[in-house]
Amino acid sequence: MRNTFLVFKRDYLGYVQAWGFWLSIASLPFLMALGFGFAMLAATSTPVRYYSVIEAGTIYTDHIETEFAKSISIDDLQNAGQNPEATSQALSEVSPEDTGLSLETYIRIPPPARDIDGLRPYLLGEQLVDGPEGEKPLFAAIIVPSDGSDIEYWSEDITVSGLRSTVSRASRAISRQRVFAEANIDPSIIKEADDAALDVLERRIRTVQEQAETGDDVTVADRAPFFASLGLSYMLFFMVFSALQYLTMGTIEERSNKIFDTLLTSVRIPQVLAGKLAAVAGVTLTMMGAWALFASIGVIIGATVLPPEVMEPIQEGIAAVITPSIILPTIISFILGYLMYGMVFLALGSLCDTIQEAQTLLSPLMIILMLPMLMIAVAANDPSSPLIGIVSWIPLFTPFMLILRMPTDPPLWEVMAQIGLMALTAFLILWLAAKVYRAGAVHGAGMSDAMNWIKGFLPGKKKQAEPVDP
Amino acid sequence: MSMFPLAMSGVTKRFGHFTAVKNLNFEVPEGKIIGFLGPNGAGKSTSLRMALGVMNPDEGQTHLFGAPPNRESLAKVGFLPEERGLYKKMSPRASIAYFAQLKGLSSREAFSRADELLETSGLAPFARSKNSKLSKGMAQKVQILSTLAHKPSFLILDEPFSGLDPVNQQVLEDLIRQEHQRGATIVFSTHVMEHAERLCDSIVMMAGGRKVFDGDLQQAYDTLDRGARLGVSGDFNVATALQETGFDIKRVAQTEDADTQWWHANLPVGKNAQDLLRAAIEKSIPITGFMPDEARLRDVFVKLAGPKGAEALKASKPLEETA
Repeated sequence: MRNTFLVFKRDYLGYVQAWGFWLSIASLPFLMALGFGFAMLAATSTPVRYYSVIEAGTIYTDHIETEFAKSISIDDLQNAGQNPEATSQALSEVSPEDTGLSLETYIRIPPPARDIDGLRPYLLGEQLVDGPEGEKPLFAAIIVPSDGSDIEYWSEDITVSGLRSTVSRASRAISRQRVFAEANIDPSIIKEADDAALDVLERRIRTVQEQAETGDDVTVADRAPFFASLGLSYMLFFMVFSALQYLTMGTIEERSNKIFDTLLTSVRIPQVLAGKLAAVAGVTLTMMGAWALFASIGVIIGATVLPPEVMEPIQEGIAAVITPSIILPTIISFILGYLMYGMVFLALGSLCDTIQEAQTLLSPLMIILMLPMLMIAVAANDPSSPLIGIVSWIPLFTPFMLILRMPTDPPLWEVMAQIGLMALTAFLILWLAAKVYRAGAVHGAGMSDAMNWIKGFLPGKKKQAEPVDP
Repeated sequence: MSMFPLAMSGVTKRFGHFTAVKNLNFEVPEGKIIGFLGPNGAGKSTSLRMALGVMNPDEGQTHLFGAPPNRESLAKVGFLPEERGLYKKMSPRASIAYFAQLKGLSSREAFSRADELLETSGLAPFARSKNSKLSKGMAQKVQILSTLAHKPSFLILDEPFSGLDPVNQQVLEDLIRQEHQRGATIVFSTHVMEHAERLCDSIVMMAGGRKVFDGDLQQAYDTLDRGARLGVSGDFNVATALQETGFDIKRVAQTEDADTQWWHANLPVGKNAQDLLRAAIEKSIPITGFMPDEARLRDVFVKLAGPKGAEALKASKPLEETA
């Protein structure tokens, strides 16, 4: 036990005493702020674009302007943080698709030409048009044929779709008006009809007793476990990926620096493995702990700034997540998942002399690890998806999937069976990986031996593993 | 059960179809310096790794201090492996203390011992540098100090002279003698026979995975058909003069001194060079020179290991020369 601790201590301190480790942790809030700042900057720095509408009359021109006027202004968004009511008001006035357009700035200018051949040099930027923001290329031209055929939207930039969507909505509005007018229906009646539509209230079914205690509204506490499961599953994924780097590189260092023999005359292989796994788990938890500390500081600061009606749901959500039915399977999944993948990384690292060799062996594992990431995306839309249920029976993926499934209250027998299967697989991997580690550390087995072992498992590729060099 | 620091009985190790060590039996008495000799690939390192429990024998048993290798017995052993290295990001001080702690020293004792060893070895100015910054020679010193830090009563050094320059080879020889004087039992493997001749009480010779000799140096030399050279003035026929003494004597074809003729006598079993000299005096042979053949472990090995062993030793020569 003492030697396991010494291995743990050496490895753990080796990682956390590096200034780069703390720099990467400390830089996270800075990088997040920087990312947020860039996003805001990108949003507010959307360029002003000129467009022209070529039509007989002004009906399309007017409707496009009307659609733009419905959009949320930048000022509205900037006020949202300070005034939730203003945000709600602004959101209630626009349809969801409007929001995508809201931050783009378009200015209509008189068309410099009446047909596409005349407009071409302006649209290509060969000639500039004059407008309120100075001379610029013409971003887009909307040509409305007088014969009733389709509207043409011309632009060199095919990636920005905001203006085109606005024109489409304007076209639909004009068409609706025209049809209603022909049917002698006042357009205001339509708005009145829309406003009279009944809201759909979301309720959660509970037992009578629960309903008496908590009501039937869908609360933050109801949704929190789903969001928490996504976050925890992602955290496990992050932990496994962090472990990959630390465990593989650490073992490669010991192999390439020829430390194994010295180490193994003082420490037994299980002690080495346990110490290393514990050290990297400690490193990862230190990293997560530091970030949790930042988050806690953020919450504490938020509690002093945000009103109680905002903080209370957050506290309810945290309380809803910290329940044995979620926490226990999560802890088991973290431990077994980390053990399974960590041992594989240690074993593979012990076979490699260089990072390049390790990359070759780890590539298939990387592909396997992508699947849980995809499943997290599926669970974000539908945690009860049968796909998640099926994949959760594959032991290598169970740690991630079990966490994702817990908020959906899966049958207890399934949870127990999956934990059992996962534990059995973890045990088998521990046994097998320890043998591989021994082969690498004691007998100097390397990449070529690993390839021979793999060939031995392939049908038609049976090949006796070569004896390792004494 | 014997309490020898190391005892191996009937030990065999195979790697696939290749037998690296076959039926190895030997014991290391307490307080001795034992040379474990043989060319590269003779099975020395595999044997020593089995002795320490790093790898298990397929057959036979190894005992350290009377029991299979275990934590208690391994704590008394200092092992310098053939393939040795250090954690690059650690300092020499931390490295020595780390391995000493793994051998059972407390943190305080380990660091105190590390400081002491670094001071006496002249590495104190580099105590807190990173190992990656050390020269190769310094790094090897740190590795050796790590082996000695817990004051082991039994040292196993696998090719300790490999990679050292002549000056540091001498330093290491002195260190081995110091450890021996401290009371440590020492086994070191080498393919350079001269180190063993200078240091060892006894030797074990390995060739092709088999032990070909186990005994003290004199016993090793006695296995050779040894002889001596007699220099005589003029045309005196030594062979005729000593015909009845049982020595097989032949004239040495080439001589540098025209006034002296050299004759070589093979010493039969039971007779030594002194007997030859005494017989020559008794026969009034005009002796101008007398040179007993120099016994070399290399010759012992070549004789005992046969042509294959000799070839293997020859193949090890380049490494010896670089050492």
